[in-house]
Amino acid sequence: MDEAPISRGFRSRRQEQTPKNRVPPGQYVTTDFPVLSAGPTPQIKLENWTFALQLGGSLLGKWNWAEFEALPQTTIKTDIHCVTKWSKLDTTWQGVTFDNLLKAVGLPEPPAAYVMAHSEGAYTTNVPVADLVGGQGMIATRFEGLPIPPAHGAPARLLVPHLYFWKSAKWVRRLRFMEKDERGFWESLGYHNYGDPWKEQRYDGD
Amino acid sequence: MTVIEAATVPVRRLEWQLAEVREIVVETWRVKSLLLHVATWQGHLPGQHVDIRLTAEDGFQAQRSYSIASPPEDELVTLTVERVDDGEVSPYLVDDLRAGDRFELRGPIGGYFVWTVATRGPLWLIAGGSGVAPLMAMLRHRARRKARTSALLLYSSRSLENVIYRAELDAMAVRDPDLRVVNTLTRQQPEGWMGHRGRIDKALLVEAHFPPEQNPKIYVCGPTPFVEGISRLLVELGHDPLTIKTERFGPSGG
Amino acid sequence: MTENGSGLVLYGNAAADLLQEIFILDITTAQIQCEACGSIGAVGSLRLYAAPMGAVLRCTHCDGILMRAVRTPHGHWLEMTGARCLRF
Repeated sequence: MDEAPISRGFRSRRQEQTPKNRVPPGQYVTTDFPVLSAGPTPQIKLENWTFALQLGGSLLGKWNWAEFEALPQTTIKTDIHCVTKWSKLDTTWQGVTFDNLLKAVGLPEPPAAYVMAHSEGAYTTNVPVADLVGGQGMIATRFEGLPIPPAHGAPARLLVPHLYFWKSAKWVRRLRFMEKDERGFWESLGYHNYGDPWKEQRYDGD
Repeated sequence: MTVIEAATVPVRRLEWQLAEVREIVVETWRVKSLLLHVATWQGHLPGQHVDIRLTAEDGFQAQRSYSIASPPEDELVTLTVERVDDGEVSPYLVDDLRAGDRFELRGPIGGYFVWTVATRGPLWLIAGGSGVAPLMAMLRHRARRKARTSALLLYSSRSLENVIYRAELDAMAVRDPDLRVVNTLTRQQPEGWMGHRGRIDKALLVEAHFPPEQNPKIYVCGPTPFVEGISRLLVELGHDPLTIKTERFGPSGG
Repeated sequence: MTENGSGLVLYGNAAADLLQEIFILDITTAQIQCEACGSIGAVGSLRLYAAPMGAVLRCTHCDGILMRAVRTPHGHWLEMTGARCLRF
């Protein structure tokens, strides 16, 4: 068979009334919030949680939960797009922006061009610093006004909503600055290194 | 159809084959069995599944997995589909599909969750809802081969109307002294129901079981929480985890 | 790989189609040994995560990653550094 046979009468049910300019190509809008994890949901106790910024071997800053909550908070409303084709519009997140993290450790400028986000359970994802500054990235601790649920990354996840959502690493514990770009968990297994949903950069080679 | 005796499958690349609907059987108010003619079918082992792929006129495609409910002894390949509300694929298969319609199918897939009459030991099947489908393939195979292996199906459904293959299972149990079918109804029971009520718990797993000493081959299939819960209880009851095979079934995106 | 939007834990048998695209042979009955803890089990019994994006197969004892596989329009990817060996 050269072409797939048509199944009589079958059609997509996902004909949503969605504004086209908010939905990247190939995506459909959902009101669900599907869970996708590369491993079991970690059970993290707030009293043991820390978050760190690193450069090479040195620690630029480290916060425990109380200290992190005391940092300047920002709330944003944004759309999120998963590489598995669902998009969720108008999601509200609160947390600490990347810009405020740099301010908190007294850095007027980012110390390197790339970041690797490291999560509980050895998940990693790489993001250019240029895509985190200017309010584009945050470490989020609240979703829709409530603490992020365990399956969605409690207590804190990276949020970089203008890239495919696998870059918004759940259960994030540290951001490691890198001089040179390195590929993270999915990026080293066939997924696109950058992941712009508007250019449909799902896979390496797209 | 030749039955493959050894629990190995021929080595071949998975390719899409054409399936034509020959017959549709209404099992319950939201479950239908599709009897398919697949001209290039090479046979399967009880417990295996297939991927199916539907293509719309505009090129949109959707793919889902379904367990094969028919035994290898049957000419036609049977898939039993439960309609999932708001699903992409199952409403089409259950509501719209007609005899003569076609779609793509590939398989059989998954040699892990397989049982044939060549396997020794009592057969203990535990099903939650539409998870009964691959287990039915095993029981139908066992019946066709007139095997005397002791077998027990412990089947959890929401209500009597939701018990899939009810008449066939009753008939199998009546004519086969070595097969026992135990139903439990979790949400609604008909008046005068003398069977079990509520979910499968430790007590039921002791009442309707094969003890560990008999080394039963255990297959559990249903929604993931069901499967995980039952597996845990079975291990607590002393069953060797290596004798327990599980398959998550049920709505996988619809 | 079927679409599983609910993120529930599956077992290796549910990744059988993706694995068979790579190995041609059905490896769900193959015995695989975990590099981290040494335990051995059938590929079909491993815990499967991340199903819509690919297959991440983890050891049932230590949760270590034994295999990762992805199907892309440009080809398949497979990584098995977490497995000491695979026996067919």
